[in-house]
Amino acid sequence: MTATKVPDSNVSGDGARVALSVQIQRLDRRTKIRAAVVILLLAFCLLLLPSIISGYYVIAMTQVVVYAIVALGLGVLVGRVGLVSLGQAAVLALGAWVAARLLFATSLPYPLVLLMSGVITMVLGTLVGLPALRMRGLYLALITLMLAGAITTVLETTNFPNGGNGFLGYNGASVQPPAIRRPSIATSDPGFLRYSIVVAILMFLLVVWHLRSRPGRAWAAIRQSEASALAAGINTTRYKLWAFALASFLAGVAGGLLAGSDRFLYSYDFQTQDSITLLAVVLMGGVYNIWGAVIAALFMQLLPQILNQIGVSPYWLIVLFGIGALQVLTTAPAGIVDQMPKDLARLGRFIFRQFRRPAPSEGGAQ
Amino acid sequence: MPSWQDFQPFLVTGLALGGVYALSGVGMVVLFRATGVLNLSFGAVGAMGALIAWQAINVWGVAPGVGWLICVLFAAALTTVYGLIFGNALAKRDPLVKATATLGFALLLLGAMDLLWTTSGGAARSLPLPTDNSGFSISGVTIDWTQVIGLVIGIVIAIATTLFLRYTKLGTAMRAMASDREITAMLGVPVNRVLAAAWFGCGVLAGISGLLLADLVALDATTLTFLVISSVAAALIAQLRSIAVTFVAAVVIGVITSMITPIQSITNYANMTPFVLAVIALLVISGRQTISLERGGI
Repeated sequence: MTATKVPDSNVSGDGARVALSVQIQRLDRRTKIRAAVVILLLAFCLLLLPSIISGYYVIAMTQVVVYAIVALGLGVLVGRVGLVSLGQAAVLALGAWVAARLLFATSLPYPLVLLMSGVITMVLGTLVGLPALRMRGLYLALITLMLAGAITTVLETTNFPNGGNGFLGYNGASVQPPAIRRPSIATSDPGFLRYSIVVAILMFLLVVWHLRSRPGRAWAAIRQSEASALAAGINTTRYKLWAFALASFLAGVAGGLLAGSDRFLYSYDFQTQDSITLLAVVLMGGVYNIWGAVIAALFMQLLPQILNQIGVSPYWLIVLFGIGALQVLTTAPAGIVDQMPKDLARLGRFIFRQFRRPAPSEGGAQ
Repeated sequence: MPSWQDFQPFLVTGLALGGVYALSGVGMVVLFRATGVLNLSFGAVGAMGALIAWQAINVWGVAPGVGWLICVLFAAALTTVYGLIFGNALAKRDPLVKATATLGFALLLLGAMDLLWTTSGGAARSLPLPTDNSGFSISGVTIDWTQVIGLVIGIVIAIATTLFLRYTKLGTAMRAMASDREITAMLGVPVNRVLAAAWFGCGVLAGISGLLLADLVALDATTLTFLVISSVAAALIAQLRSIAVTFVAAVVIGVITSMITPIQSITNYANMTPFVLAVIALLVISGRQTISLERGGI
């Protein structure tokens, strides 16, 4: 028995080795193709897109870029660490407030302001998360839901800075408040869109770097089982806090871009509901893949503008997002980024079969 | 600083609101204990019930009593349907996933309400109860019967729920399910029927609180949906366990939120009360508790 088995297994071992090397080559080719596609896509977005779309969509796309950064942070939190924040859009509003205040108060270069608003928002966000992080995940979700309500309440009272004096920098509802300044290299709308895309690329790289190094591995361990992560010597509270800080930092930087993009900020533009909508689209986009963040942002910021153009109520989207979030949570946890290629392949096979099926029957008839 | 005289009417409003928050909070805690689902769509379901009652009374012309009944039954039916479909589908998932799913449901209802009852250009809706117009006064403070109902119903529900869970067969079954669903099923408890009953009860409470809050606060989808934050804070302070603590915390939140109103310097921040109290409570609780160990994630 064993004698006949040995050569067999040897052959299959060789076969496996060959198959493996072929697979590696194929994988290599696939990553190369993927990298090329990503670079082409980015080049297109950076160089061509801002100049070929109308002004209306330039503004919409800038919003998409801003929300992609926020969605990325939330995606890391939900998908990689297993924490849920129900107040991330409110943290974005906080970041926008901080950035607007800094932009009016100082003449610091724009990238420095982005960095500062990121860091300040990170500190504020982390302080809130701190008491909840040692508790069950549900508690953090609930406390951030309340945080969203609290930030909305505060912003309704303080309003956004519009060139006034004092700590709040609010000038009353003045007739013509000065616009929030933009970086000198990107004063036009298309220019600012390009600028935002560059910042977004840097933020995506920051996240990729996190995921590929120590924190990413720690998060993966925590997500699998907090008990075994702890047993393996991972300081779970510290790494959870790190993830929360990273998400807040990203929201703060995105807030800085939002301030420059909108140029006039009003508190009624930021509602508690936005944070929940954001979570729904992030879930729909897909939390296990960083590209899910882009899909989420397109859903949240581009679709309403398109619907607006064709005269459909944006509330339909809220209904859709609710259904989408339920569907993702019950049946497809990896979101559209994972589901779409599968569904497209299925659709492709289906169409292919539809075209193929009549042929033999025709042949049979003849 | 305003005098005590100025605070008195706000104390009454606060107690009434606190009672309704307690009603919602107790509803959420009981459902959480029986099914492991923290129902964050509680407010949205109540809001939709109240809007349908408004529609029935003002547009279809049914008698107010029938309208209120429609509100409660609709909320109960909606919650039960959700519970039977998604409560079961997500039964084995993390509590965080279950809670997030109810938010998806809340979003769906919010969008539907905005589509069906658009606010732009229309006059503000209201759903007055006949108890608003009659009342009595204690040392110069007028108290109407709706406010009395708000507090009393909170107390009644809190006590009734505690007794129900302790002494009835259905209540015992719910407590057993909270401990272990599969063992409960093995002991011959009709698990699905008990689950449906828990969801139904939660829905009835959502309908009642929607009706009362529409009267006490405003008949507005978004406002009513997010009023649930006050009840969530109360439930959180009670660590999603104790009905008595939920009740007390809800009343305290209602009273503080309301009592801040006459204080000029911080009146605008009144709505931050649930957040501030919950954070303080969490600081106290987390100081005493060891790190919990459970599998998280969506």
